[in-house]
Amino acid sequence: MDSDTAIGGPHDQFPSTQRWLLDAAAAGLPNEALERIAALYWKPVYRFIRLKFRKDSEDAKDLTQGFFASALEREFFARFDPAKASFRTYLRMAVERFAANAHAAENRQKRGGGVEFEPIGEEVAATNSPEATFDREWQRQLFGLALDDLRAFCDSAGKRLQWLIFEAYDLEAGDRSSYAALAQRYGIAETSVTNYLAWARRTLRGFVMERMRGVTSGERELREEMRRVWI
Amino acid sequence: MNKILVGLLAGLILGAIDGATAWFYPETRPVIGGILVGSSFKGMLVGLASGWFARKVQSTKWGIVVGAALGLLFAFGFITGAIIGFSTQRAGTPRCAS
Amino acid sequence: MDLSDSVLDHLRVVVALPDLTGTRYELEGEIGRGGMGVVYRARDRQLDRHVALKVLDSALAGEAPLIARLEHPAIVPIYEAGTLPDGRAFYAMKLVAGTRLDRYVAESLSLAERLRVVRRVGEALALAHSRGAIHRDLKPQNVMVGEFGEVYVMDWGVEAVAGTPAFRAPEPSLDERSDIYALGALLEFVLPAPPPPALGAIARKAMNADRGARYPDVTALLADIERFREGLAVEAWREPPLHKVRRFWSRNALLLWLLTAYAAVKFLLFFWGRR
Repeated sequence: MDSDTAIGGPHDQFPSTQRWLLDAAAAGLPNEALERIAALYWKPVYRFIRLKFRKDSEDAKDLTQGFFASALEREFFARFDPAKASFRTYLRMAVERFAANAHAAENRQKRGGGVEFEPIGEEVAATNSPEATFDREWQRQLFGLALDDLRAFCDSAGKRLQWLIFEAYDLEAGDRSSYAALAQRYGIAETSVTNYLAWARRTLRGFVMERMRGVTSGERELREEMRRVWI
Repeated sequence: MNKILVGLLAGLILGAIDGATAWFYPETRPVIGGILVGSSFKGMLVGLASGWFARKVQSTKWGIVVGAALGLLFAFGFITGAIIGFSTQRAGTPRCAS
Repeated sequence: MDLSDSVLDHLRVVVALPDLTGTRYELEGEIGRGGMGVVYRARDRQLDRHVALKVLDSALAGEAPLIARLEHPAIVPIYEAGTLPDGRAFYAMKLVAGTRLDRYVAESLSLAERLRVVRRVGEALALAHSRGAIHRDLKPQNVMVGEFGEVYVMDWGVEAVAGTPAFRAPEPSLDERSDIYALGALLEFVLPAPPPPALGAIARKAMNADRGARYPDVTALLADIERFREGLAVEAWREPPLHKVRRFWSRNALLLWLLTAYAAVKFLLFFWGRR
């Protein structure tokens, strides 16, 4: 392996810049860690609230903002017990409680009580349960962020071609070109296509794991969450 | 002990027992001593031959057959011969302990 | 970046696949998933043969070095242990074609065959113990029977992650006697229902909650099974007298029939002669 394609260490081991979640929480949760949690969980929480509580887009956004602004303080992390559930599940349940309380408070304000059901928008096609949607959006967000990390890395490390090949193949939603076609298009050997893709994929894997590290409590939870993510 | 010895012993015991059953026939009681000796002797002959056969051939089935045949040959009894043949196959070591 | 469902799922698949660049292996497909990783079928380009590639999803390498030194027909040979370019540990080992034990015993098998498999597993275990290696996760899913009846014991040395509780000994720290527990559970698993009482007792003795009360070593357990096979009394079971008689009868049936025949003939001759 040439050092050119290695990110760090002899086997592409990422030097972990991410502290485990509970360590960060114990240290008072510096803003960066909090931002990372919000970046990953904002969309999943939003979608979850929309589905579960039948809120329209604006209300759901307000509730999501409210949750991240108020609920994520030190108490929240102190009460998290990794033995009982993953952080992802714990956070989702906290969202449920938060939104349910807000919902109940809102209904108490309305005279006559009664729950009003808002129409569900087209983007939340309720074929999945809210919980399944939450998990799915979490995965989507996880990969989305890791892809951003990968692209940023490729830009900074001068690996523009690797990114283009990867984007053309693995990020292609429709029919994928063959390796040979790609090789021709970019004027490189077919083996290079194979190598670049392999490099991009394992680098992406590293970024995904890094992102996960920032929202899990330790090696064991990381491993279990990883198993749920990979197919 | 080796198989020949097993045969001799089995033949002796079985022969003695077989001879002793003559006791049930009161008319033979006066000469029961001779009957016992004769029967034991015949048993040992059958046992010897059977034991020798068992050293050559390892087969429970054939041991029984040969024993029975020897029993008939020596006028010792079909079944008693079979029992001796069986014992020599099952017990004892095939080779001399040397 | 917003990902469509199809791209997301595609990425989940490709990022999970082991990256074999720089190794001599070519990925061919997935064989199965275990407690600590995924097993793939791969082709060794250098030696032109197929291997099983187990990729671990954690940094723990298990007891590969220890196991690799064990040579036994029932222990799957490990060809290579290493680290993939993406940081994951892997072993390359013999690709075993066969049936997993839980499926194997579901067919109708003779008791003798079931005991034969257990004996093979026990022999491998005994060898491993003598070299200081413990299996830790023995269960039917980790035993394979090849097409010629060869028995293989796999997945050594890594403690069950979410193990099948039925095969895991109750004690918190595992040692050789926990393997004996698992072997007893395996024996119980392969036995038909209802099991012969002697064998059931052997299994129960091996699975005693108090590890001091189990067999002292695997050899003792196997010896008891051998005694059962030979029709002798088994150490684990105090048999009722009726059973003792039945066992004696079946062991010595031939002799008893001959003696019965002898007595019968003698009686016949006596009464016939008397008439």
